[in-house]
Amino acid sequence: MKRTTRFAALAGVAALAFAACGQAPEQSGGEATGDAASSDFLPCIVSDQGGFDDKSFNQLSYEGVQAAADSLGTELKQVQSQSETDFKGNVQSLVDQGCNVIVTVGYALSATTVESANANPDVEYIIIDDAADNDFDGETDAPNIKPLLYDTAQAAYLAGYLAAGYSQSGKVGTFGGAEYPTVTIFMDGFKQGVDHYNEVKGTSVEVVGMDQFTGGFEANETAKTTAKNIIDQGVDVILPVGGPIYQSAIAAIQDSGRDVALIGADADLYVTDPSSQALVLTSILKKMDVSTEEAVQAAGEGTFDPEPYVGTLENEGVDIAPLHDFESKVDPALVEEVEALKQQIVSGELKVTSYLAE
Amino acid sequence: MTAQAVDPAPGAPAPDAPVEHRTVETVSSKAPVILAVLTGLLALLLVAAHHPGDVRFALGSSHDFFEIPVIVVPGPVVAWGGVVVMAALTAVAFVLTSALRRHVPAWVTVPFAVVGLVAFLAWAGAGSPRDLSITGLISGAIALSIPIVYGALGGVIGERAGVVNIAIEAQLLLAAFTSALVGSITRSPWAGLVAAMLAGVLVALVLGVFAITYRVNQVIVGVVLNVLVIGITSFLYSQLLVPNAQALNTTPRFPRVGIPLLERIPVIGPAVFNQTVVVYLMFVVTAAVWFGLYRTRWGLRVRAVGEHPKAADTVGIKVNATRYRALLMAGAVAGIGGAFYTVVSIGQFGREMTAGAGFIALAAVIFGKWDPLRAAFAGLLFGFASNLQSILSVVGAPVPSQFMLMLPYVITLLAVAGLVGRSRGPAASGVAYEKE
Repeated sequence: MKRTTRFAALAGVAALAFAACGQAPEQSGGEATGDAASSDFLPCIVSDQGGFDDKSFNQLSYEGVQAAADSLGTELKQVQSQSETDFKGNVQSLVDQGCNVIVTVGYALSATTVESANANPDVEYIIIDDAADNDFDGETDAPNIKPLLYDTAQAAYLAGYLAAGYSQSGKVGTFGGAEYPTVTIFMDGFKQGVDHYNEVKGTSVEVVGMDQFTGGFEANETAKTTAKNIIDQGVDVILPVGGPIYQSAIAAIQDSGRDVALIGADADLYVTDPSSQALVLTSILKKMDVSTEEAVQAAGEGTFDPEPYVGTLENEGVDIAPLHDFESKVDPALVEEVEALKQQIVSGELKVTSYLAE
Repeated sequence: MTAQAVDPAPGAPAPDAPVEHRTVETVSSKAPVILAVLTGLLALLLVAAHHPGDVRFALGSSHDFFEIPVIVVPGPVVAWGGVVVMAALTAVAFVLTSALRRHVPAWVTVPFAVVGLVAFLAWAGAGSPRDLSITGLISGAIALSIPIVYGALGGVIGERAGVVNIAIEAQLLLAAFTSALVGSITRSPWAGLVAAMLAGVLVALVLGVFAITYRVNQVIVGVVLNVLVIGITSFLYSQLLVPNAQALNTTPRFPRVGIPLLERIPVIGPAVFNQTVVVYLMFVVTAAVWFGLYRTRWGLRVRAVGEHPKAADTVGIKVNATRYRALLMAGAVAGIGGAFYTVVSIGQFGREMTAGAGFIALAAVIFGKWDPLRAAFAGLLFGFASNLQSILSVVGAPVPSQFMLMLPYVITLLAVAGLVGRSRGPAASGVAYEKE
């Protein structure tokens, strides 16, 4: 029996990578089915592992679909994925329930979406944060998928410039949940913004933690220690990228007893999490709600087009949030400079590089 | 070709039923070999990935008795110096084991580990403009290891009594959830802590009912409990805590309480003596579990029912009652570890926030050879490995972050795979006792 223990421990440790496995998909029957609705158009959405209550990414996408369903006068169906093994089954179950358009949230669902789209040419798919181009030929892999992409580097660039100007210590920090392109695009843009500030002002503001990842998107002690280690380096602005890990950063800031400002990612943290208000300098907005709503709306009106959408500062798919409580703490001249930078990026005068815009 | 040896017919009765061999620890020459391999690997690393520049060790913090300036030393020199010292210690170890037939003593292995670590850090931090904070390394290691240590202590008590507890993860997770909920409602972290202990006890009770009373396979019950608790907490989280985050999922946290004077000791002071009560409690509980298991009548009985329940039964010890008591106590201990996530660390619950710490705790039980002190030490080691990864990527060490993230698990696997010498669990662990 002692072998059993050891075996179990080995299996348990090996299974850590799949810690979320073994659970049935959480399927909501709460949202009524399409029959009762005034329209028989059925929009559906499947989350990635974060779930629809992640205060970022999945939640915003969900709100977009919800808004579109409301204005189309129809109901929606939603399925949450608990682990990667759920993706296939969840998407298939939505197809089986007769969904007209299926929104898949996150680049982790890319392969599943492409496969399902090719098998069901009558269903329309909208994938968020991925080009659905798994053979890398520059084309979407199925004619019935509309990819929604966000060049958040542009907004992060502005946040980086703002942070560099705001920082008293000459050090700003960032860290991510995992090394996904959708995460690093924030960090890269942020770094470029700081570099630009240094170039313009002749300063040498440092970015700490550029290759710092917590290995997951849980707000836990690992994320908190990561944030603490970065704060210990003397940063006074920190940008955590990856859903709820900002909560760990908040706890680390409180424990440090220092004056460290937080930059939110995806949604305006000041609004979505009121407990963070005293700390939020600004947020890098990725307006998934708006673009998802528009795409679903178009599908409902029969004008679905598979052309990839790329959110930029120009089309307001990405942006930075108002300063809220920090309005008084930031030099108005700096705010004006950020505004001017924004115009330069919109006009194409200033290029921010990212994987979406070489 | 003909078969040289013919196996005895399957099923033929062996003259004696195979007796399970108990190994007695003897002097092994494995330890010096491991030391030699480690020294060699480090030397290889230094040659293969030469990495010039100074390394900045920050030993102090602003609260110390006296300020220690940042120590700036040339990285490669320190690293190679470390390799030389490690080689010398390895030679000493070889002499001791082969010529003198003695164990490799702690005065060889401990300096070896410390020197090896310093050499590695000197290599990794060389050329970085950032300070490598030793205080941060230690305090982060302690913080990350707390749930693992509590979980491992709970595991040790359970297994010593003969109940395999795979459900440590479930205990941590349910305790984290409960303490967030109760802490938020009562606005008291103490209430959260007590509730967390009760949650740990609850999971232990379910495990006990199935494993002890109904004699269901203990591993299976444990696995099922883990999945069950993940499901319950995720469900309640999204249905209950998310819509009412302000009222139900915002718990006050324990404040840090510095121990006067001690907290001002450089390097270890801020890391060890400026912590929350849950951290101090960890040291107390570890000592108490050790004392309880080895120095009290209760401990003797617990170990007896774990090693040889029949013998214990014959001398009048109530096997199943003893097991229940031990298991419930273990649940309370693991529950404190779960409380750490919410009432100490973050202040709110998140879906599956324990992220597998319970399995690491299980590994720590085995790595620690079912001994509370060693298991606690193993927990600290795992915490240290996690934080090392974080600190190294902050200073920009030339190690890929993916590799660093893997590090704690690799150490765990190596540990569990038996690299630390033979570890033998309690003989009756995992076997339900049935009175004849």
